[in-house]
Amino acid sequence: MVSRRDFLKGASLAGVAATAATVSKVAMAALPEIISVSDADTQAPHMPDTGRPYNPVVTLNGWTLPWRMRNGVKEFHLVAEPVVRELAPGMKAHLWGYNGQSPGPTIEVVEGDRVRIYVTNRLPEHTSMHWHGQRLPNGMDGVTGLTQPGIKPGKTFAYEFVAQRAGTFMYHPHADEMTQMAMGMMGFWVTHPKNPATMAVDRDFVFLINAYDIDPGAYTPRINTMLNFNLWTFNSRVFPGISPMVVNQGDRVRIRVGNLSMTNHPIHIHGHEFMVTGTDGGWVPPSARWPEVTTDIAVGQMRALEFKADAPGDWAFHCHKSHHTMNAMGHDVPTMLGVEQRDLKQQLQGLLPDYMAMGQHGMADMAEMQMPLPDNTLPMMSGQGQFGGVEMGGMFTTVKIRKGIAKHDYRDPGHYQHPAGTVAWEVENDLPPVERPADTDAHGGVEVQVRKPGDHMQH
Amino acid sequence: MICMAYARLLLPLVLVSLLPGCATFSRDGGFDQVASTVKAKTGKEIRWVKSEDERHALDARIAQLLQQPISVDDAVQIALLNNRGLQASYAELGISEADLVQAGRLPNPRFSMLRASRDGEYKIEQALTFNIFSLVTMPKATAIERRRFEQTQRQVSLEVLRLATATRKAYFSALAAAQSERYMQQVMRAAETSATLAQRMKKAGNWSTLDEAREQGFYADATLGASRARQASLQATEQLTRLMGLDHTHYTLPERMPDLPAHAEDPANLEQTALQQRMDVQMMKLQTEALAGQLGLTKTTRFINVLELGPARVLEGRRSDPYKNGVEISLEIPLFDWGSTRVARAESTYMQAVNQLAQVAVEARSEVREGYGRYRASYDIARQYRDSVVPIRQKIAEENQLRYNGMLVSVFDLLADARAQIASVNSYIEALRDFWLSQSDMEMALIGKPDFSTPASALTAQ
Ligand SMILES: [Cu+2]
Repeated sequence: MVSRRDFLKGASLAGVAATAATVSKVAMAALPEIISVSDADTQAPHMPDTGRPYNPVVTLNGWTLPWRMRNGVKEFHLVAEPVVRELAPGMKAHLWGYNGQSPGPTIEVVEGDRVRIYVTNRLPEHTSMHWHGQRLPNGMDGVTGLTQPGIKPGKTFAYEFVAQRAGTFMYHPHADEMTQMAMGMMGFWVTHPKNPATMAVDRDFVFLINAYDIDPGAYTPRINTMLNFNLWTFNSRVFPGISPMVVNQGDRVRIRVGNLSMTNHPIHIHGHEFMVTGTDGGWVPPSARWPEVTTDIAVGQMRALEFKADAPGDWAFHCHKSHHTMNAMGHDVPTMLGVEQRDLKQQLQGLLPDYMAMGQHGMADMAEMQMPLPDNTLPMMSGQGQFGGVEMGGMFTTVKIRKGIAKHDYRDPGHYQHPAGTVAWEVENDLPPVERPADTDAHGGVEVQVRKPGDHMQH
Repeated sequence: MICMAYARLLLPLVLVSLLPGCATFSRDGGFDQVASTVKAKTGKEIRWVKSEDERHALDARIAQLLQQPISVDDAVQIALLNNRGLQASYAELGISEADLVQAGRLPNPRFSMLRASRDGEYKIEQALTFNIFSLVTMPKATAIERRRFEQTQRQVSLEVLRLATATRKAYFSALAAAQSERYMQQVMRAAETSATLAQRMKKAGNWSTLDEAREQGFYADATLGASRARQASLQATEQLTRLMGLDHTHYTLPERMPDLPAHAEDPANLEQTALQQRMDVQMMKLQTEALAGQLGLTKTTRFINVLELGPARVLEGRRSDPYKNGVEISLEIPLFDWGSTRVARAESTYMQAVNQLAQVAVEARSEVREGYGRYRASYDIARQYRDSVVPIRQKIAEENQLRYNGMLVSVFDLLADARAQIASVNSYIEALRDFWLSQSDMEMALIGKPDFSTPASALTAQ
């Protein structure tokens, strides 16, 4: 039967609550039950109970879609629908997604599986489903107009093909892409090798890179934005809303990343070096791999990074474009560095009662002050670590490596307890206090910055 | 002998002069009537200052009123007591009453004499004539003059009420201008702060000359705006000072204008009330009645003041010759038209007045409608500012502050927004002023011709 119960069992096994899982009340005898999830927590791996065995993945701040076996065919049911996705505590976005969340649930199959996916459209416009990277009959490729008519609102289409090649894939609509992808319609797909021993790892994390432009105080992304996004997300989550990747010390870890945003992202790990072992095209032959700590993932690409998690700690993992580790910020805000405002404070507060001087010494004020913000708006950098503000937002999380974490345990182990003497320490100094010239004249040797008019590209 | 002859002739005249109903000078010279009208319409007191002592008492009272910030009622009261133009117009009452009294008295007999001599030959003519026809015309003439006097009373009342309205309007204009001046200074301070920061941005190397110049430009504009507002405030204050008849501006106005009333008035039968109450309509009516009386008189007699009768004696010849006694009657005889030109003139004058009355009535009705329309619209506009525009600007300012907190906008955006917010409050002040002005105009439209001219605010900088 339908594996909802087992799915829940699997979830609770790992101690992660699958809250408010709902079942469609509409009897659809011929169609697999619609399963949806209403929260954005990372759910425990979905252990295969039917079909071929495989080593399941863990979707960062997401979940895996259960299936049913019918006459030897793995049947999934995806429902395209409007969803409310929590981007981080304190901010919700009105998106379009699948089965209650955006991105949709991860689909896991095994090489050689015959797969039938029902796609029901509950959006206000037609949609389709493209299986990014898959080898399949042309008519299953899901390009509206080209290979199929659009799936009209209220209609259900079935896609059926054999998962031929093991690897990392994505799914997303190929209908009104500008709107539907900007609204968060996408999901992850993993085809496991027939032999579970092939390229086996202890922990296999997956997530998609995406980006939104949501005005502070608003909920719906601006779908016509091309580059100037203000929320850079892993699986439609921003720091501090992105789960840590919890790892047992010594585990072999794979992180599969797909990029469905509109720019490239240099993904960077701290404390370790990794190999890129897979792309959209399949496994990279061992002889062609080279070690890296940052790998650029271009638009529409998949990368599988692998490393041995041998160094315990809370290691940063993030995109290296600094604007991508910030949440919404004013791109037109002038640089206030070095501009004295304190003496004008009284005059300013006469006109602006809630005014606080900011920016004179940099933007870290922002992370410290915790001042009221517009509704549904996250501070541009926040998140608290054991030593204070992390001053990050957007595409930032941690790999938490600890000794003695159980096989399927993904619970946050808390802050890393550093062994004595292994944290940078302050040393006494008898240096003269910092002195800066009171008013440096711009003409006194400051180089002129040439900026072309109208060049507002931020990324 | 001669005296006897005159006495005989004058006797009927003397009798006539003793007839009852003759007008005499009143104790108050018609002023009480005006004062009670003013009291009824404005609740204010007026005084006809006729002596130094009265003047001193008045000055003391005004000095006392000027000690606190003056309310609109104080301003009107001061103007009504102190405006010298008004005192001048009270004199009209005396003049008019004198005419009335004169009309009720017999005309003076007229004595005429001709004396000529040549070589001892004399020609002397002496005549004492008296317009006996005035005996016939006196009652009607008195009635006419009485109406004229009543007209004058209304005319003076109207002048007083007009001054009251003008003072109210000047008061609100001055108050609003002073408030605007303060707001424009705030705008200037916001711009000044922006400009100071801009200078520092430039100095720190963060900003271009263009950016800096833009902020300096706002500051320069805001300074102009503040200067204009100061000028407008000065003009409005002097206007009020003039109307209050003061020779100084050592008085204070309250900080704020009175609030907008909770509801706009919705008076019934505006046009009817205007026709009944408006003094210009009443005055035209009285004039028309007077002319109708005159026309009736003219039609009845076909003469106006043309028949004069009196004793006469003539000496012709030597000085020692006796006078020839007789009676001289001078009579203008309308041989050709029998007074028809006079009748036509009177008729035309009357019809002119009838049409003028009709015109005044049409204007009164229209003006009271317009007055109410302006009142209603200005109320709605002021309420829209108070309930929507200002709170929304306030909301925008708060949201911008939140955005500033998130480093989503800069302090320059906040300051620009503060300028816009202050401007919206200033617009509300102006809308409130326009409401009070239009309210005064509407009330004026019910008692006389209103002055819908635009207030001094045209000068107020935006
Ligand atoms: Cu990035």
